[in-house]
Parts: sequence; structure tokens; C-alpha cells
Amino acid sequence: MAIRANPKLIDELEKYGAQDVSKCYHCGNCSATCPFSKEPYILPRRSMRSLQMGLEDKLLGDLEPWLCYYCGECSEECPRDAEPGETMMSLRRWLTARYDFTGIAGLFYRSWRAEVIAVLIVALLTGIGFLLWGFSQGSISQYDGPNAFLPSSQVHLFDWIMAGVLILLLGTNCARMWWFTVGRDKDVHVSFGAYVRKAYELPYNFLTQARYAQCERKRPWLLHLVLMLSYLTMLILIMFFLGEMAAGPEVDWRVHVFGLLATVGLLTTTILAMRGRLRKTEPLYRYSHETDWMFLILLAVVASTGFLQFVLHRSGLDVAANIAYVVHLMAVVPMLVLEVPFSKWAHLAYRPLAIYFADLKAEAAPAREPAGEAAPVARVA
Amino acid sequence: MTEDVKIGVYVCNCGTNIAKTVDCDAVVEAAKALPGVAAARTYKYMCSNPGQEMIVDDIVQLGLDRVVVSACSPRMHEPTFRKALEKAGVNPYFFEMANIREQCSWVHDDAEAATDKAKALTRAAILRVARHDALERRSVDMNPTTLVIGGGIAGMSAALDIADAGAHVHLVEQSDHLGGNVARVDLTAPYLDSARDILTERITRVVEHPRIQVHLQGEVEEVTGFVGNFIARIADRGGNGQGAPLSVDVGSVIVATGYKEFDAHRITHYGYGKLPNVVTSFELEKMLRAGRVETKEGKRPQYVALIHCVGSRSAEFNSYCSRVCCMTALKYAHEVKAAVPGVYVSDIYVDMHAFGKGHEDFYRRSSEVKTLFLMYEKGESPVVRKAAAGDDCEMLIEVDEKLSGETIEIPADLVVLMVGMEARPDSERVAHLVNISRDKDGWFIESHPKLDPVATTTEGIFIAGACQAPKDIPDSVAQARAAAGRILARIARGRLEVDAMFAEVDEDKCSGCRICNDLCPYTAIEFDEEKRKSHIISALCKSCGACVAACPSSAINALHFTDAQIFAEIEGVLL
Repeated sequence: MAIRANPKLIDELEKYGAQDVSKCYHCGNCSATCPFSKEPYILPRRSMRSLQMGLEDKLLGDLEPWLCYYCGECSEECPRDAEPGETMMSLRRWLTARYDFTGIAGLFYRSWRAEVIAVLIVALLTGIGFLLWGFSQGSISQYDGPNAFLPSSQVHLFDWIMAGVLILLLGTNCARMWWFTVGRDKDVHVSFGAYVRKAYELPYNFLTQARYAQCERKRPWLLHLVLMLSYLTMLILIMFFLGEMAAGPEVDWRVHVFGLLATVGLLTTTILAMRGRLRKTEPLYRYSHETDWMFLILLAVVASTGFLQFVLHRSGLDVAANIAYVVHLMAVVPMLVLEVPFSKWAHLAYRPLAIYFADLKAEAAPAREPAGEAAPVARVA
Repeated sequence: MTEDVKIGVYVCNCGTNIAKTVDCDAVVEAAKALPGVAAARTYKYMCSNPGQEMIVDDIVQLGLDRVVVSACSPRMHEPTFRKALEKAGVNPYFFEMANIREQCSWVHDDAEAATDKAKALTRAAILRVARHDALERRSVDMNPTTLVIGGGIAGMSAALDIADAGAHVHLVEQSDHLGGNVARVDLTAPYLDSARDILTERITRVVEHPRIQVHLQGEVEEVTGFVGNFIARIADRGGNGQGAPLSVDVGSVIVATGYKEFDAHRITHYGYGKLPNVVTSFELEKMLRAGRVETKEGKRPQYVALIHCVGSRSAEFNSYCSRVCCMTALKYAHEVKAAVPGVYVSDIYVDMHAFGKGHEDFYRRSSEVKTLFLMYEKGESPVVRKAAAGDDCEMLIEVDEKLSGETIEIPADLVVLMVGMEARPDSERVAHLVNISRDKDGWFIESHPKLDPVATTTEGIFIAGACQAPKDIPDSVAQARAAAGRILARIARGRLEVDAMFAEVDEDKCSGCRICNDLCPYTAIEFDEEKRKSHIISALCKSCGACVAACPSSAINALHFTDAQIFAEIEGVLL
């Protein structure tokens, strides 16, 4: 059965950052240089081809874009400057939009204005909300204690409600990803046992980024690992130890040493990434989509205001600390509510899932061999 | 005759090439014993200046009148030694060469047997040379007027070069206008220059040239004569002036009759002739020239598909590559996009042949304008069918796409078939007219595929452009101007040297049976109706000997290959 090609798809992908895709004439240099290009996943040439021809449905079911970490070797080797690395990046953005059932992700990727406006609105609502709430039940000159402007126990509750919504949204998108890539593929039958047996891969890959380390360039992996671990540390601290973090006047160093380390990690990696994107010397930083900047800017604001409110609070400047805290929340809420399910942050879930699914599919692949060829061998055995 | 000759025999060592296997001194000693041999020597390199001077000195001092050199193949150095004889005042045809290198030392290990063979070959040469006749080289007049058949880009370019140099040209064009197939083209690849601009300059100059006579709607009916002295009969096929054919004297002929495009009706699965929006590349050229690329229904196409190798590189039709279609298709990718903004162009190809100057860059630029390239396997051609009512396109093309391994369907509103080049249907008539050969595909055959690409096996007849094989404009013009250059070199010399070796008819013996007339591969034999005898035009004769062997009356004698000479040679080998 012939697959219908859609020559217009390539135009749509341009809004997601794809460029020069049609320059590719399939010499295969990119696949030869990619450490992850192994049957049945041929990176990045097969995706380039599917995109050139506009095989939309096939692309939607592909895991290849998530198996690429954009080391940029392929783009460096490309004799036609077809930017295969950037194509994979744009496909990840497009897939993020397609996994998202609300359509918000697609809107953000296609229109940076929509994203900026959404971030501003959420930030504004957050700011107004917390200010009204703070003034209604506390004092702006109190950072902690009984009359605190934003009592940590209440904020903590808010955090958990927000986390619940996020998990629901992201979980739905992950389920859709599973359906597109594994579930609806009639040729692949993954047993329940296999899902359980391979489940360890999810936390393993999430925490170590082990596959990323296989890329020839190690620096991007190291930066990414530091950023991810810093973020994770901060997330754990906030979700489980917010009380200890915000309480005073004593500094609980058992908690704060982690908080400070994570802050240093976040700020350093964010600044280095921003510098890379401005310099454009490394292939992975050469092209920046608006969403890449939004991601870095929000992260930088969150990390710096978080640190600032800590410093101000410890310096006894409670009014300033409270204002910094509100600003901090104004960045945190849009970052988590908008970026995690609808934008770049979503890859924190899709990447480990893709590795997991890819492994399951590859293992199940022998079932795809034609029965006619396999049967006689079985009989002889 | 053989008794009073004084033969000099020279055995070459060729460094060690000959001497390492053949005992050259023994060959000399054997030669000395033969009647008529007045001198015999060996030397390191006979072809060197001292070697040649040795021969000249011996001729002068010893009064030699015949020379044998036992050395290498005569292909290389026979002219060298003949010149040495001429220098010493001896007829150059009193010379014979024995090849004791390629035929002895290079191919035998047994020194003794090789030496014996060298002796035998030298002996054969000695016996033969004693029976040689003094032959005179002759020359014929070279008429500078040139006939060019075909008024396309090649014919016009050749005509202009010859006329610019001062000679007259008769340019015969079958149709009612100059320009040929290039006149049917809009832009040219890879620089997207206008074909019209290229042609207008040529046509204006040709038409206005005082030394070019253009015969539109003309047809060359007959070419007789030989190199330097042809007579061509040109008929006027025009509507009005059905006058008597014009007879012109010309010295050379350039055949530049071009090609015709493959008939797309012959491939059924592309739907040409059935689906209204399947067109040939020339039909698209017409649309581009008119500035309106649209479907038969007058709509702007959203999707345009180009299918390569239509009639070319296929087992079923033509096995050869037509050479211009790949770049022409890339040209369409640019032109169609310029004519219809926002159109999606798919280029369905087998292999992208981008071998010419600037072609690879052009291929790259074509991918930069977002052309979708789809590769199909030779022999697994795409299939074009009408789309369903709900589709956003007129047609769907099914392709087994090689780069992805997928079978895909690509939408199309306009399908352009890149039809290949074929030899013209009248190429057989033209070949017969000027006595040149055609290959299995009908293309005219050049004298040598690498070293003599514009001449033919018939002296004075040259070929240029796509009548020889599919060619693009630069290659056609290059070949045309090369042919003009060859002719101008002959015109500059004024007379043509003709080899002294040719066949002669002894009219006393000729019975007029005419067996030889049709046998001659060079049409060098004419029949004298008055005398009822055959006559050989020596300027056309290549001395192949076919008529000599066929003549039942033994009336034909090939100079330098007489029976007496050949029998003496055989005797020498067997002695």
C-alpha cells in the first residue's frame, strides 16, 4: 500500500526551526558519523527523507528524533549543509506539539508572540494572586514565622496542586506518545512482561543521561547532566523540604548546602548555554528557536530570584525578600505550567520514554520477519 | 628487375627491446647472403637521427636504391624512414619494414626461434622490396566552398566559422526557419540564460552573412564526387519556388542534422495522450515561453512532477542516456517555481547525471529551492493515474522510492515527461546520401571515438551536434566549431594530398560486370556508361583490396599490394 506523500509538510516544519532539509541528497555521511545510527533506527538520514517527502504519519510514529542529542557531528559532516542536527531538533519540537492534545504546544512553537503573551499573563496572574493573598493574610515585612507574607506551608500546598496538574497533562501526552510510537503499530507486539523487565531503563536513563555520554563531544553531555541534576535537586528540595528551606532564622545547612550547589549548577549551565547561543560557534547552538531562549530566560530568572530571596531573607531584608519571592513565583509558575507540558521542558519525559520504547520495539522487531522465512528454520531446529 | 637492385638492410636493436631476444647480428648475416643485398647493418636505435643518417649515407655512398628496416611496427616509423629515403633522393615507396619487435622479441622467449622468425620476416621484406614500384603521391584541389546540412545551433556555428574565415557556405535547412531544436527551448541550463538570446545572435549573423547562402525548406538530394570536389544537389521543397534543384560544388560537407525527441505515447503507464495534464518537456517549454504554466483546464498547478529518463536508459526503448534531460529538469524546477509562486515541484529521477561544467552547483541550487527529489529504480518506472474526487490534486504518481525504501504516492496537477533524444527518422537516408555509417541506435559514427570525433570514415564528410549522439548546446557547438576548424585547415593548404596507394582498373581486362561497384565500402568505384567499364576514384579509394579479390577478370590491381609483391613476401617467409 502506497503511503501518501505531503510535499507541504516541510513548510510546516520550518515554523518549528527546520531549515535546508531539501538540500540533503542522501549520501549518508550523517548516519555514518552518528553513534546511535543502528538498525532499526537510522539517524538522522531516515528522518530527513521522511520529512522531505512529507510522510507525516510515519514521522509521528518515529522515535529517532528523541534518540538524537544534537552533538552536531552530522551537521558538521554534511557536504550539502542540509543541517541534519537541526532537522532532528525541529522534529522534536514538532513531535512535542503533536503529542500534546490541547494544541497549545503547537501554538507556542509556531508563534513566539503567543508564547510570550501566555507567559506574561500567567506571570501577571501569579503575581497578582500571591500579592492579594499575601496582603490578605500576612505582612509584607514578615518573610517567615506566624505572620509571614507567603507562608511556606501554604505555598507548599500550592506546589503540590500544580504538580498534580502537570503530571496529569504530561502523563496524557506521554500516553499519546506511546500510542503513536508503539501502541498503534500493528507489527510490534510488546508483552507486558517486557514493559516490566525494561522499566528500570526509565530512571536509569533519566538520572545518568548515559546515552548522551556516547556522543563524541562530552562537554554538552556534562553541562546537560549538571543542569538536569541541579534542577532535580531543587525540585526535590522544594517539593519535600520547602519548610526547612524557607524557615528561619537558623540556616539548616543539611538542606541549604544542596540548594546552593543546585543554584550554582543551574546558573552556571544556563549562562554557558546562553553564551553558546549568542556565539553560535558550536553546531548545537548555531540555530536558536524562540522557545530555546524562553527556556533559558525563565530558568535564569527562576534560579537568580530564588537565590536572591534567600540572600535578602538571610540579610534580614524581609520586604525585599518577599518581593523577590513573588517575582520568583512569577517565573516559576509559567515555567512549570507552560514549559513543562507544552514546550521544551517536556523532553525530560519524552527522552527516557523514547529510549525505553525504542528498546522494547527493537526487541519485538523479529516478529516482523516474514513467517515464510522463519518457519522452515524452526522446523529444522 | 630484381637482379640489378641494391638493397640496404638495417636491423634495429631498439636498445635491448629487440636485441635481448633476437640475435641481430645473425639476422644481418642471413640478410647478406640474399641476392641484391648490398649492405646490412645493426644499430642501437634505427629511428634516431644517427640511425636515419646511416641509411642516407649508405644510399649516397653505396648507391642503394631499396631499403629494408627490421625494427618495430610500421605504424609508428614507416613515415620516418620513407622521409629518410626521400631525403637521399630515392622514391619513398622503395622501402619495406619487417616488424621484429612486436612480432618477435616482445612475444617470444625462445631466443633461437625468435631469431629464426626475425630472419624469415626480414627475408620476406627483402624479397618484397625488390619488386616495389616507384609510386607518386598525388594531390587534388580543395574546393573551399562547404555544404552544411542542418540549420540548428551546430550547423549555424560551423557555417559562421567557415564563412568568417573567408570561404563560402551553403547552409541547407529542412524546415522554414533556422534554430533547430534550440528554438523550441525557453531558458538553458545551468546558468538560465535565454535560448532565444543565444539563437538570435547566430541567426542574424547567418542570415546577414555575405558568404553564407541559406537554403530554407531545402533538401540535399544527392552528393557525388570525392573529398575536395563534391557536387551536391539541393532541392527546394518550399511551397512556391518549386524550381529545378540547385547543383553546387563543395569541398567538404558537415552533417549537423540533430535529433528528434522520444515519442511519449510509446510508454503507456505515464498516460501521455490519455491524461490531459501529462505533457512532454517540449510542451512545457512552450508554456514557459508563453509565460503561462497551467493545466489544460486553465488552472494554476499546485503540484508539478517531473519524470526523468522517459525513453532513455531503458531496456525496452533506448539503452543510452540522453544527457540533457537531468539538467533540463533542474532548469524546470527553477522556471516552474518562478512562473507559479508557491508551487511544489517533485523531481522523479533514476540517477542525477550532473557531469558538466557548473552542473553540480546547479543541482545543489535546485535542492535549495525546495525541489522534492524522488529516486526510482531503473526498470521500475512510476505509474501515473487520475486522482480521486476528494484529493487536492489532479493525478497521483506511485513511486517505489529508492532512498526511503517506501512505496509512495505523490500528488501532481501537471506531469512533465523528460523525453529523451532519438536519431531522426531520416538519418538512414542522410547516412546513405553522404556515405557514412550509423550505430545500432541510428546515430552517425565518428572516425575515432576519442581522437577523431568530428570526421567520418568518408574523407571530407564531417559530423557535428546531436546527430552523432545526444549532446547539449556547448558540446554541439564545440563539435561544430571543431569540424569547421578541420575544414579550414584543409582550405588553408589549398590542395589535398592523396595517398599513392590505391586500386586501378585495367580497362583492357574489365568486362564491365559491375560486381565491384556495390562492393566498395567507400563508394570509390563509378561505372563509365560510355566505355562500359568500372573506374576507381583514387581520392576515395582506401586500398582495402575488396574489389581486387572480387574481380572475376583479375582486372583490378592494388598499387603497393600487387600479386608479385605479395607472393614474393610469402616466398621469403617460407624460404
